[in-house]
Amino acid sequence: MTGQAQLLPGTLDLLILKAVSLGPLHGYGVLLRIEQISRGALLVEQGALYPALYRLVRQGLLKASWGTSDNNRRAKFYALTAAGRKRLRQEADGWNRLVAAIASALGAQPEEI
Amino acid sequence: MKLWAFLRSFASAFFLRSRTEGEMDEELRSHIQCRADDLQRSGMSRAEAERLAKVEFGAYQKFKEECREERGGFWIETVWTDIRFALRMLRKSPGFAAVAILTLALGIGANTAIFSVVNAVLLRPLPYPNAKRLAMIWSTWGKETRAPASGPELIELRNRSRAFEEIAGIWVTSGTITGTVEPEQVRLALTTANFLPMLAEKPQLGRFFTPGEDRGGAAPLVILTDGLWRRQFGANPGIVGQTTRLNGNNFTIVGVLPRDFKLLFPDSRMADVQVFIPFLNDLEKQSRDTAYIRMVGRLRRGVTVAQAQSEAESIASQLRGEAKEYAEQSLRLSVLSLQEDDVRSVQPAVVSLFAAVVLVLLITCANLANLLLSRSGGRRRETALRTAMGAERRRIIRQLLTENIFLGCLGGIAALGIGWAALKWILSLQPEGIYLLIAAKLDGYVLAFTLVLSILTGVLFGLAPALLAARGDLVEILKECGQTTATGKPWLRQFLIVGEVSLGCILLVGTGLMIRTFTSLLRVDPGFHAENVLTFQMSFPWSRYGTVESVTNFLKDLRTNLAAMPGTQSVGGVSHLPLDEGLGNWYSYYWPEGAPIQQQNTVMADHRSTLPAYFRTIGATLLAGREFEDTDDASHTHVAIVDDTLAEQTWPGQDAIGKKLSVEDSPTGPFQFERESVVVIGVVKHIQAHSLTAKGRGQIYLPVPLAPRPVYSLVVRTTAPMQTFAAYVQQAVKKLDKDMPVSNLRPQMDYVEKARAQTRFVTLLAAALATLALFLACIGIYGVTSYSVAQRNREIAIRIVVGANSADVGRMVLRQSGLPVVVGVVVGLAMAAVLTPLLSGLLFGVHPIDPLTYAAIAVVLAAVGVLACYIPARRATKVDPITALRAE
Repeated sequence: MTGQAQLLPGTLDLLILKAVSLGPLHGYGVLLRIEQISRGALLVEQGALYPALYRLVRQGLLKASWGTSDNNRRAKFYALTAAGRKRLRQEADGWNRLVAAIASALGAQPEEI
Repeated sequence: MKLWAFLRSFASAFFLRSRTEGEMDEELRSHIQCRADDLQRSGMSRAEAERLAKVEFGAYQKFKEECREERGGFWIETVWTDIRFALRMLRKSPGFAAVAILTLALGIGANTAIFSVVNAVLLRPLPYPNAKRLAMIWSTWGKETRAPASGPELIELRNRSRAFEEIAGIWVTSGTITGTVEPEQVRLALTTANFLPMLAEKPQLGRFFTPGEDRGGAAPLVILTDGLWRRQFGANPGIVGQTTRLNGNNFTIVGVLPRDFKLLFPDSRMADVQVFIPFLNDLEKQSRDTAYIRMVGRLRRGVTVAQAQSEAESIASQLRGEAKEYAEQSLRLSVLSLQEDDVRSVQPAVVSLFAAVVLVLLITCANLANLLLSRSGGRRRETALRTAMGAERRRIIRQLLTENIFLGCLGGIAALGIGWAALKWILSLQPEGIYLLIAAKLDGYVLAFTLVLSILTGVLFGLAPALLAARGDLVEILKECGQTTATGKPWLRQFLIVGEVSLGCILLVGTGLMIRTFTSLLRVDPGFHAENVLTFQMSFPWSRYGTVESVTNFLKDLRTNLAAMPGTQSVGGVSHLPLDEGLGNWYSYYWPEGAPIQQQNTVMADHRSTLPAYFRTIGATLLAGREFEDTDDASHTHVAIVDDTLAEQTWPGQDAIGKKLSVEDSPTGPFQFERESVVVIGVVKHIQAHSLTAKGRGQIYLPVPLAPRPVYSLVVRTTAPMQTFAAYVQQAVKKLDKDMPVSNLRPQMDYVEKARAQTRFVTLLAAALATLALFLACIGIYGVTSYSVAQRNREIAIRIVVGANSADVGRMVLRQSGLPVVVGVVVGLAMAAVLTPLLSGLLFGVHPIDPLTYAAIAVVLAAVGVLACYIPARRATKVDPITALRAE
């Protein structure tokens, strides 16, 4: 289990939104999806996912409904709302700008100054 | 609507709670199952997979709790869960619950009762329209502050003031109503036409006086209070337009005041005015220096009392520049809000009582905190367990706080019962002078106060124990479980004991000072001996008693009749009884004959019209000269008796007998004032006329024929019981004049007791609060000591085993538990020394830092405190080492 990184505070919500934007998921599915799209690099504490999901539902970014999972268990599925989609775009833009800025700062060479 | 929305959200959270809660559980469990499925697929056994899935999931309860919080609206159900939990905990320890709720009920209940007094007296607006804009306007003549105004002064002020939209005047006197069921002496008020409309919306029958109806020559009209209308007129709804005889003249009844109407003025005698008539006089034409009118005004909207005050000052200075009467007596005016002026004399007492009851509440809180700390030892294991299961510290503190606030509220509910009973007791004391108190009741404000107090109390006593309980090392606590070693913070408990003992000490010292004040009042020499002196009052209608002879002869005949009554030792009479504040005082300027003009209008004295043998009858001390005789009338030398205060002021170091005084009298008939010279024939020891404590003005006594008055009180020194006396008096007076009502038949002692009533009231209440504080402090000390003895059972056993005898053990416990008591007493005395000087307005005959009181309280409190330690300490000496050690 090498190469895993702790999540920065506040990034869990963004990851959840991204994961759900690819198609409605139940809680465990969200977890798997994050693992999958981060190629196993990001570690989410399983239980910690749920408070975040409830928070996003309360903020109106996600909507929840009961359904059946692949292995035939009853599960609650989360899907993105319009507001959620908008928020995802904003947050992703902001994140990309930040990453670019930090990367360029860290990549600076002495002769460039 | 807001309330409805709240209830709905509450109800939905309440009813949907189990559903959403269930869904949450199902969702989390489904997660774990899914994970377990995956793990199983990778080759684990099902049981192994499920166990690992649970471990991977993390702190289940903690995440569930966080979900609840994130879901929103969570607090209702959290509180609900907490309350149910609290109830379960309380049911598990009913002894603790009973002690806690009882303590709280006493502490909060006392606050509820005293606050309802504060609310009625200081906070609730007077029952008048625009009560906040009503203000008293007092005059100052020379050295006489809070003096009434003269007629022209009122009119001038009314014409010039822009700060007031109305200024009205009232003069209260006594009158007689006849031609009704029974002739009755009533308190009568002469007012300006705008007086009543300022204080009531509308009469219940008829109308108010209209402008102009108070002028000289206007028709005589009268407005009745509800009480008189019911009593004398049988609540006749058709009364308006009928006439009634007042002081022998016909007055047309134009209105009846509302049922709850009452004159709540700084002058308490105004509260019993039953009849209102207009002045029927052109006030501006009256003499500028005959001051008798109380002025009350309604400020214009937005004008403050301070603004009105500065305007009044400038008007007074204009008046001084315009008329020599105002200039000579350096007239000044002061404006005071009616409400504040009303409670002026009782405010310090009520505020002090409120401060005292807050101390009681703090002691209650300290006691409760102690109780909780003792209990938290047992609770630590439970909280530790919950922490281990993933509950957050914040969550545990919140749960404990909710529990304590809930406990506070339970106590608050019980407190309402105690407060109600206490208020009933307070009202039964019927303190004279605090007349606004009658309206004290448990209204919405008081209920709200109690609720807020209960919650606040819960926070106050519960916060420290909650914080402590949620702290500490988990493993340590769980490890030590099963052992009963001392837990918590012993210093905190001792600090609380120091706190409650010192607060109790302050209360006790304050109460001790009040008790000393009251005993001083019992011992004070009022200048007369009230025992065995019975009195009654009559008022002489000016229509039938308009001459000096008619009044004099009536009184002479009555005196003869009363002297003939069995048991009578002596009969006298006077226009104003000492300590009877029911009549307007009668005072004016005097000076020794021949005094230079600039000394003439400077000093005032109380003037009294007196019958022969008055001083002997009331038990005053004649220091020199003689009393009046029947021959002291206008046709002989005009004479007067003065008191020692006046004699000393006027002729210091000289014999006053034979000296001449310039005084105002009325030898040609009632209200026909003349200034003339009288010869002093006697000096009497000062009689306390207005209060038992305040040094009053000098006193000048004139014989009845020189100064006939509308009201006289007869005083009879007799061995006859009150009932026999009353019957005899009624009959004797009827025989002389069947239309003459007799009123205020009562022993002179009543007036003395009335003068002590406020101090008595405050002393009783303070004593009740101090007893409560002492009781609570004892419970606290006892509780803490017993607890520490129980905790240290094992240690004590070991000490005994290694050779300590029981006396050593007892001394050790006493020393350790007694120390905070002694420290508390010392701290309390120091704080009391800072605080009691604030009480000096309530005290009499005792210094605020009275060493005797302080010492006595220190001894009593220390003794009681040590006694409260002693009982548990004795138990410590009886510890059986074998049982104690085996129990571990």
